[in-house]
Amino acid sequence: MGFWKKYVFLQALFLTIVMFLIGMYVGIAFEQNQFDEMEGYYLKSEISLMDIVALNNLVMNKNISCEVLKEASFNYADKIYEEATLLEDYEKSGKISEKMTEVHKKYDLLRTILWMNVIKTRERCKTDFNSVVYLYNYSVKDLTLKAEQSVWSKVLYKLKKDNPDKVILIPIAVDGNFVSLESLKSEWNITEYPVVIINDKQLVYDINSSSNLEKYFK
Amino acid sequence: MDFLTIVYLIYAFIAFYFLFLFVLIYIQNFRKIQEVPSITKKYSVSVVIPCYNEEKSIGRTIQNLIDNNYSNLKKIIVVDDCSKDNSFKIMKEYEKKYPNLVLSVQTPKNTGCAAGAKNYGSKFAKTEIVGFTDADSFPEEGSIEKMMGFFDDLSVGAVTSTVLVHNRKNILEQLQAIEYIVIKFTRKLLEFVDSIYVTPGPLAMYRREYFEKIGRFDEKNLTEDIEITWRFLENGYKIKMSVPSKVYSIAPNKFKDWFKQRIRWNLGGVQTMIKYSKYFMRKGMLGAFILPFFVFSWFIGVFGLSVVLYRLIRIIILKFLSTSYSIQAHAAILSMQDMRLVPNVLIFTGIIIFLFSFIYTFIAFYSIQEKGYKRPNFILMMAYMIFYVALYPIILITSAYKLLTGKVHW
Repeated sequence: MGFWKKYVFLQALFLTIVMFLIGMYVGIAFEQNQFDEMEGYYLKSEISLMDIVALNNLVMNKNISCEVLKEASFNYADKIYEEATLLEDYEKSGKISEKMTEVHKKYDLLRTILWMNVIKTRERCKTDFNSVVYLYNYSVKDLTLKAEQSVWSKVLYKLKKDNPDKVILIPIAVDGNFVSLESLKSEWNITEYPVVIINDKQLVYDINSSSNLEKYFK
Repeated sequence: MDFLTIVYLIYAFIAFYFLFLFVLIYIQNFRKIQEVPSITKKYSVSVVIPCYNEEKSIGRTIQNLIDNNYSNLKKIIVVDDCSKDNSFKIMKEYEKKYPNLVLSVQTPKNTGCAAGAKNYGSKFAKTEIVGFTDADSFPEEGSIEKMMGFFDDLSVGAVTSTVLVHNRKNILEQLQAIEYIVIKFTRKLLEFVDSIYVTPGPLAMYRREYFEKIGRFDEKNLTEDIEITWRFLENGYKIKMSVPSKVYSIAPNKFKDWFKQRIRWNLGGVQTMIKYSKYFMRKGMLGAFILPFFVFSWFIGVFGLSVVLYRLIRIIILKFLSTSYSIQAHAAILSMQDMRLVPNVLIFTGIIIFLFSFIYTFIAFYSIQEKGYKRPNFILMMAYMIFYVALYPIILITSAYKLLTGKVHW
């Protein structure tokens, strides 16, 4: 009897530690599985982007149709937008490891390359589509900014939904410290976020309705 | 891993620890839960009933004690604490009817607390055992006798009973009925690790010699039944619980009364905690488990609620700002994305803890047989686990506020 009285506290502690270790293992495995899935998507997206960049180079040098490039860019942007939604979910569910943040950064880099590619396309081809680049902060503590960014996301989502074939939407988090993105930002003298860049010309800082943004379209 | 995740995991660890602790104690002792030592001696007993404005129930309480059928019940000492209703008159009628058994006395002036009336009445007790019953509580027949066997062990200073809810008409009363059963079950499990921390007022028996030696009830404490239990432990006496000894008590039927009662319990607990803080990690299980358990419960309760409030306020501000911006941008205030619940490890942990707690409540519930009372249904048990338990932190915060502002009174 005395033995049990003394040791039941330790027995409970031992069980809790075992339970916790199992739980942590399952949790890490669960998050690793999501990470692996996202890595798989990323790898495919990276290959697709390289393909588009190569295609863009071909369009630059040879007489190849801009339509093919436009279509490829649109499909690609849509694909990684969907993947970004999934990534966002996984980031929210990732509580133990922070690996997803790195995947997010890699995706931001892909989107930056896509943006540069769209700029090139615009220069080379006569385009009839509109590019909407949304630059925002990834890590936000300030509630006003957080609210502003969440509403911007909704507005831009609606904009894309209303104009699926006219708008190429590229959301990029700016805190990834990419040299290329920094150069692009300094080109437009952008220091405040969130900002929406429409057709590489118009900078919109204040929250607008999607119909107002459409006014900037060609 | 962010700060909130770490906090959540620490809380989950604590929750699992206590669940495992109680489950292990249960597994190791479940056959002994209903056991009481057989009677070798009929100890002489006096029962003190403190009473203040209890005209509706005092008669029934006295009658229940008379009908308890304990052959060596010498005196039922009913103490009127200068009631403003007919309580004293009713007591006198019983005294007249049972002159050898019932003694009705009145305090010279209102003592302002149950402890005062209990101490006053206990001075008239000359028996080996002195018991106490609240004036709104009804001990079941045979309950006293089932408590006596424990006193054969000279180290036992007090024996407590199974306190259950008498009135179960409205939801609040029914929820309290579940709560009392869970408390009763937990208290018995704590007995197996010498950690019973309260001998509740509805029915408790004390060895009179020890009771007087340790100085009776502390009249400055809001929960004299917790305080005296700690004092028994401080002096090296054991506390036992007789599960088959049932007493049915009238629980508050209005939320306001319930809240007031809980605040008093909490404040009394804190008073006791402060008084015995010097025994941290000393004096056996009092300092090794009961005191740290109380302090820890308070700390994690207040801290946890602060974190929840902080999060809640941030969400409200964020929702307000988002709504304002959404109106400005003619965007949807609520989208499917806002409502999407993404499963994560913490949610799974929460679900497992909830399930374990539910099983614990279920076991507690099925460990007791009650005559004449229906078992609560599944929905009521869920309501208890989700809503009723969620009110505890609010009581804790209110108590902390009252304590800080010095509003501590009966």
